[in-house]
Amino acid sequence: MKTKLYTILAASTLLLGSCKEFLEEDPKGSITEQTFYKSAEDLNAAMLGLALNYNLAWNQTGGMAINFGSDDITTHAGGNKKGFSDFDTFQANASNDRMVIWWNYFYQTIKSSNALISNYNNATDATQEVRDHAGGVAYFYRALNYFFLTRTWGAVPMPLEFSLDKKENSSPEEIYSQILEDLQKAESMLPDAWDAPRRQNGVDILPTAGSAKALLANVYLTMAGWPLKKTENYALAAAKAKEVIDNSSKWGYALLPEFGQLWDKDYQYNKEAVFGCYFNKNMPSIWTYGDNWGNGSQLGPPSFAPGEEGGWDEAFGEISFYTNFPAGARKDATYQKDYFLNNDPKKVVDYTKLTHKHPYFMKYRDDESYDPATHKMNDWWGNATVYVIRYAEVLLTYAEAHTMATGNADQSAYAAINQVRKRAGLSNLQTGMSKNDFQKAVIAERGWEFAGFEPASRWFDLIRTETVAQANANRSSAELPLLGKPDDNSHTFYWAPLPIIK
Amino acid sequence: MSTFAITAPLYTVAQQQQVEGKVISNGQTLSGVVIKVKESSLAVQTDGQGNFTIKAAKGNHLLISSVGYESQEITVIDHTPLTIDLKSADQQLEEVTVIGYGQQKTKDLTGSVASVKADAYKDQPVLNAASALQGRAAGVAVTQNSGAPGGKAKIRIRGNNSISGSNEPLYIVDGIALSTFNLQDLNVNDIESMDILKDASATAVYGSRGANGVVIITTKRGKTGSTQVSYDGFINFNTLPKRYDLMDGSTYANMANIIAGTTVIQNPDSYQSKTTDWQKLLFKNSKSHNQQVSIRGGSEKAKFYISAFYQNQDGTLLNTSQKKYGLRSNTDITINDKLSLGINLFAQRVEAHNNAVMTSKANPVMASIAWAPTESPYELDDINYNRTGISPIWVNPLMTALETDENTFSNIATFNGNIKYKIFDGLTFTSNAGLDANMSKSASLSNNWISPGNMKSAQGYSENYAFQNSNVLSYNRIFAEKHNLTLTAVEESTISTSNNFNAGGSGLSTLSNGYYNLGLNAAQSISSGYSQWSLLSFLGRAIYNYDNRYLATVSYRRDGSSKFQGSNKWSNFPSFSLGWNVHEESFLKNVESISKLKVRGGWGMTGNQAIGPYQTLGLLNPVNYSYGSTSSYQGYTIGNPTSKDLKWETTKQTDFGFDLGLFNNRVNITADYYYKNTEDLLLYTQIDKYLGGGSMLKNVGAINNRGFEFSLETSPIRNDNFNWNTNFNIGFNKNKVVSLGEGQDMIRQARIGGGLLNADIQVIKTGEALGAFYLIPWEGVYQTDDSKLNRKAGDYKYSDLNGDNLIGYDDMTVVGNATPKVQMGFTNTFSYKNFDLNIFIQGTYGHKMFNATYAAAALVSSDVAYPTLHAVTDYWTPQNPSNEWASATSKSKQYIESTQFLQDAGFTRLKNLSLSYKLPKSMLKVASASLGLSVQNLFTVTKYKGFDPEATSTSSTSDTSTGIDLGAYPSPRTYTVRMNLTF
Repeated sequence: MKTKLYTILAASTLLLGSCKEFLEEDPKGSITEQTFYKSAEDLNAAMLGLALNYNLAWNQTGGMAINFGSDDITTHAGGNKKGFSDFDTFQANASNDRMVIWWNYFYQTIKSSNALISNYNNATDATQEVRDHAGGVAYFYRALNYFFLTRTWGAVPMPLEFSLDKKENSSPEEIYSQILEDLQKAESMLPDAWDAPRRQNGVDILPTAGSAKALLANVYLTMAGWPLKKTENYALAAAKAKEVIDNSSKWGYALLPEFGQLWDKDYQYNKEAVFGCYFNKNMPSIWTYGDNWGNGSQLGPPSFAPGEEGGWDEAFGEISFYTNFPAGARKDATYQKDYFLNNDPKKVVDYTKLTHKHPYFMKYRDDESYDPATHKMNDWWGNATVYVIRYAEVLLTYAEAHTMATGNADQSAYAAINQVRKRAGLSNLQTGMSKNDFQKAVIAERGWEFAGFEPASRWFDLIRTETVAQANANRSSAELPLLGKPDDNSHTFYWAPLPIIK
Repeated sequence: MSTFAITAPLYTVAQQQQVEGKVISNGQTLSGVVIKVKESSLAVQTDGQGNFTIKAAKGNHLLISSVGYESQEITVIDHTPLTIDLKSADQQLEEVTVIGYGQQKTKDLTGSVASVKADAYKDQPVLNAASALQGRAAGVAVTQNSGAPGGKAKIRIRGNNSISGSNEPLYIVDGIALSTFNLQDLNVNDIESMDILKDASATAVYGSRGANGVVIITTKRGKTGSTQVSYDGFINFNTLPKRYDLMDGSTYANMANIIAGTTVIQNPDSYQSKTTDWQKLLFKNSKSHNQQVSIRGGSEKAKFYISAFYQNQDGTLLNTSQKKYGLRSNTDITINDKLSLGINLFAQRVEAHNNAVMTSKANPVMASIAWAPTESPYELDDINYNRTGISPIWVNPLMTALETDENTFSNIATFNGNIKYKIFDGLTFTSNAGLDANMSKSASLSNNWISPGNMKSAQGYSENYAFQNSNVLSYNRIFAEKHNLTLTAVEESTISTSNNFNAGGSGLSTLSNGYYNLGLNAAQSISSGYSQWSLLSFLGRAIYNYDNRYLATVSYRRDGSSKFQGSNKWSNFPSFSLGWNVHEESFLKNVESISKLKVRGGWGMTGNQAIGPYQTLGLLNPVNYSYGSTSSYQGYTIGNPTSKDLKWETTKQTDFGFDLGLFNNRVNITADYYYKNTEDLLLYTQIDKYLGGGSMLKNVGAINNRGFEFSLETSPIRNDNFNWNTNFNIGFNKNKVVSLGEGQDMIRQARIGGGLLNADIQVIKTGEALGAFYLIPWEGVYQTDDSKLNRKAGDYKYSDLNGDNLIGYDDMTVVGNATPKVQMGFTNTFSYKNFDLNIFIQGTYGHKMFNATYAAAALVSSDVAYPTLHAVTDYWTPQNPSNEWASATSKSKQYIESTQFLQDAGFTRLKNLSLSYKLPKSMLKVASASLGLSVQNLFTVTKYKGFDPEATSTSSTSDTSTGIDLGAYPSPRTYTVRMNLTF
């Protein structure tokens, strides 16, 4: 009996002896920071994370709410659209529920960029060239995101490495200086082309050296305007834009022959995209992880469609801007002309007969689930590409920057803007314009080219040229009245209010 | 088993004598009891008065047995008439309560333990153990969150302790703690009793897993005597208990035209005869049934209990169902007088179809209330569904209900074996080893109706199993007659592993193979995962009583968990409790009316691991991106930052109570007051968005629960023909969030139903209970214009709380919460001769529910263009100054996120009304039988305007996101026919 007792005690002691290992954790199915950033595949996985994160800022209408202060786009104040309408009528406050989409996802992408910047050189299993490509991608995304953040909100916090310490806001001067530093690095580190799957159908999904140069041109151009007003940067902008234009064949950039093709579902990958966000809602694991929904785009088809056709009435075109928009192939592809009440092709009306009495945009509306015969939408989201930078923008940047830098609009400047106008179905721009008139003409051209909901938004042009109030002076009386009054001298309503939850 | 047998030739006539006797049990005579002479195999039965006469010789052994009673053996000594008192089969358990790692005589108990025996719910045809527990024990709150077949229930003991962690109690089945599944997955008919440990002195014994209370389940065991075979079967007829009062087609069309200000529906009056009743299309009367066979018997050496069951439930919502079948075998073997062995095996398969919680706002229940009655379910060709209608923007509910195909197949098992060795008198060693496993497969198919132009199929498999081994050394000794001491030492180890594997695709080429051929998907993706946690524990406990009058229990448990690091890996959980059996004192011993009076109190610490494994390690987040193609590529983003210093949540509880028995325990009263503080709550504190957002787990935060429980059991009438027993229990609990850490006093909960709800309407706030609602206060309808807030007569009136002359989400405030304050159960059983009438009333009070379903039917929103609720036709006009419904032409913004739709969810429900009849034994000689008719949920008294005040669209595991009805699946009213046969 005693031996039995001892056996039991002995068995228990053996059990206790192995207790230390018994309580150790070994996460076999997951990756930790200690085991990551070693090989080229790890770098690919990190870059993929950045691209997906960035998609989340652009796959819904939320963030662009801040652009509604421009005179090309508006919405009604009912339903759940008040967040957009408040920017349109200059009464947005810090609790605005739409703008946080940009704030949250831009900063989320910056966090992942910072992590990659800190770690890309640790991938000793990969070659230096591959490591530099990854570093270049990280610098590009960081610069891109701070560029949008500072143009939208002005002075914002600028974390440059991953940490939990609180930060004060940095001034636009500091932020632009960092953006330039990052983009110059990206320019030299990025490749000219990627391999599949980071390149699809001849189009690079991740940024290339060409993308970095195009972005740099836009940054210089913007720095030449408000708030920094560094007019010496016009020349730098022109030089960069010229680099992209002269070497456009290296990266395969060109204007698409027809404006409408940009919004055609069959042109998901096209040569006019210098950098964009690409979507495919039909990918198999779209609901596997929370963030995977960044694979689909809620910008279309129903977002910008009228309720009479089953759409969501998220936004539509301002009437004055629409009326003054020059007719042509571009206008026909930008705005919807015929509306089918209840999707009945026999009940055709124009926009004046709709509930909201405004013309609706045709961008992002095409998808395999969209029936052009009845305008019926069988799915609530789509795959439309979001063009963060289009080649058309590079041309117009060159035209403006070169003219402002040299003091007159020469043949190369006219050639650039006329390429865009010709594709739009317009005649060449009137010759012999002064520097300032030419700039106004380019700004107007940009407005028509990027009307509606594009990243190269007219709003950013208005604030850098200090013409927000001027543009809104033409606001039709049929629109919702403005509550706040923007001022081009004191720059009120130029920056969006910082979100209440930073 | 013949009544008249032939005398065996072994005995001489001279030794035989007539032995007379009477058999009773509990003071009542028993008829039909079999008396058998072991040596001669002569047998007789007792008559109607319990008397018997049998021929037997001196020294013979008489075997007395009867179905449902413990058999006895008596030696014939002389011819004095015998009086034999049989104990009913479960009387053994009445005197003893199961506590952790052992049993204690109920009268010696110092902790707060409630017992629910199978008898308590035998008249209610329950489909799972959670339903059996509802309203039966004070302090135990059970809410049926979904009325779907196999829908989940939420069980909480004495309130919610944790915010991030689970608040589910610990379930112990035959000594093994369940890790991979919960109470609802057991076969309720296998359960003999459930003992619920409520206070810390009882649960501290379970240390790090005991913070939410412990339910100890004892399954039926074999017993010596004749083998008893019984069959129990019932059929349920289910029906939807309530309907929304909605407009008919022409009313709706006219209203829509008024709201739109133009003719959006042509010929409104033509819809008089063409109304589509969506509720009728989506909900139907359905049938369910449950059949169980069990065999029970044994001898001194071996006892067995075997059962098999089959259950098939069809839901009231179209195309929802669940099938369950299983087998159990419990064997208890006595090897010798020192060693005994027990083996319990249970296996069950559950096949569920479309019964998961529907969290999408476009689900069939929600859409059936909001869809325009002017729309027909099919296109003109009557074959294709009418996919979208004039309102709402959600797709056709009939299509969604009929075409969804989501299935889970679960295989659940518990296997455990225990060895008990009596080392010497008073010292026993028990070793219990067990496995609980849940191996499930999920399979889904999305056809062209569900996923237009992109059909999909997917399968997933998960393997979850947990091994547990506990070794218990127990010593009991009575010193000097009066000092009774029991010492227990336990060592326990648990390891739980989860593996999963998922494969899915899109672009399925054909539906002909269903989801069985994943290779037919044009684009495919796979993923898999793994996690494991382990726990090692040591416990020491001493139970002491002096002369059965003064009682004391002390325990100390030490737990180590794999989930924490460094010095936080191990934690200690002490407890103590004292009790005084006042009725044993000389001054009360002679008071006839007081048969029992015990006062007791205790304090203890328990813990909650509360988090998943690997939280201290800093894992990266996996993501997939397609680069715009149809293929899936794997990437990683930075996850939440970590802290190595995470530790256990700790709950400290104080309990005071008394148990009073009057008139020979004809009246039993138990009351408890408790006070519970949980600290070091593991909370996700938000990280600033500009630092990348996300959240970080920290031990901050505290929650307090305090309450009072009362239960009363009486048998007011007890005589030969008529008995009346009542059981009343009530529990009050006040839950309060004390702290959320520094610099944080409110955490918003992410909303469901986005697009319909445009702000988060539920928060965790200090000073409030969990599940606090955050809404704009609604004041009715303006009767005159309000120029300050720019609203006109006939518009909805809201409070401008922040005084900025604008109504918006800045005017939201905390208004009520979803956590109930009072739980009540009241059972009355009447037996008259062979009839039994059982009336069971259950109620829950003091909480609210946000009725988004009602809101969608009543308000104009981006999702729903025109309301369907009939009450809205009584809208404000200058001639009809309603204060409830705004004018149909009102242009001011109407907010769903307001108190207009926050409804009182308290209810009193006639949960079970049943009448059963025991067929007299003389009728079916081979067996006793009973037939029953019952109704469950016959009626509900409530102010809630939705289908069911219990049903919610949130997960049953969450207490912070709860009480929101976004098309929640209601529990049905059920009519049952039941039959029980015992051979």
